[in-house]
Amino acid sequence: MKMAATGRVAHVAKHVKPILSLDKGEARKRVLNLYKAWYRQIPHIIYEFEIPINAKQGREKLRELVLKNKNVADIRTIDMLVIKGQMELVETLKMWKQKGHVMNYFKETVEEKPTDFLSKFFVGH
Amino acid sequence: MASLFSGFGRNLPRLLRHSNSTFRREISVTSICADKSSQQRFDPDVKDIKSSQQRFDPDVKDIQSVLEPEESKHQEALHKFITVDTPMDISSLTGVPEEHIKTRRVRIFVPTKNAMQSGTNNTHHWKMEFETRERWENPLMGWCSSGDPLSNMNLQFLCKEDAVAFCEKNGWPYFVEEPPVHKPKKKSYGANFAWNRNTRVSTK
Repeated sequence: MKMAATGRVAHVAKHVKPILSLDKGEARKRVLNLYKAWYRQIPHIIYEFEIPINAKQGREKLRELVLKNKNVADIRTIDMLVIKGQMELVETLKMWKQKGHVMNYFKETVEEKPTDFLSKFFVGH
Repeated sequence: MASLFSGFGRNLPRLLRHSNSTFRREISVTSICADKSSQQRFDPDVKDIKSSQQRFDPDVKDIQSVLEPEESKHQEALHKFITVDTPMDISSLTGVPEEHIKTRRVRIFVPTKNAMQSGTNNTHHWKMEFETRERWENPLMGWCSSGDPLSNMNLQFLCKEDAVAFCEKNGWPYFVEEPPVHKPKKKSYGANFAWNRNTRVSTK
């Protein structure tokens, strides 16, 4: 059986429909706007949801979540991420989320999943 | 806030530009004076109330008439094309957990022919499947169980390039398994009696 080599196909520039932004600078502005909006709301969120973290921890988490996508280069993907982030913000501030949904960003209470064979076996499977 | 959601699709760019400030105000206003109805909320930046109402009026048929010149130029440009020189990657959008993007491997292949029949149905497309993860037998019913969310993904593609593009944009490592090339068998009655054939014994 013949197997083709795995690898990235050479990419050529494509003409595509934009979503929100026309260039990288604009997309960047939107990201910064979203970041600032979240940054300002964090004290409110902590107060409203009565979650056991302080503003500094919240902002660290925000920074972490934003920087997770720092390597995204496609303008359309950035736009979609901004839209999703905005929706999350609306859902949070409108109190459509509950405490657990907000605390889900901080996964410290979740027990570490076993990785080696025997501890997996002891856990159940 | 309700007015912000009317015509969401079309007004999305401006929504995203303006909503952050609107939001901040609304939140701060509501938290300070929770009793007041939404009509009494005010936007400190808007001097002329009439014009601000017109801007978000859902009855406005022609959105171009209320847009600033540079805004309408932007709107027009959104209907045209932009050039993107990076490969398409939607793995950060799909919501697939990171462990199921980086640790999975996709096999792209043509399904095999049904061995019990001579027809070649179901072999004219390409499929993709992930490597097998742990499976176990359900202790109560004896059913097969798996904790793998991607194990039952069943997608068909017209050609392998489609499948490859799909894997690339989702960020999955993949390999393509080409179908084996079968050499057609010689099926001729006369060939049984060829001069170099062992079956031709009587007149040799």
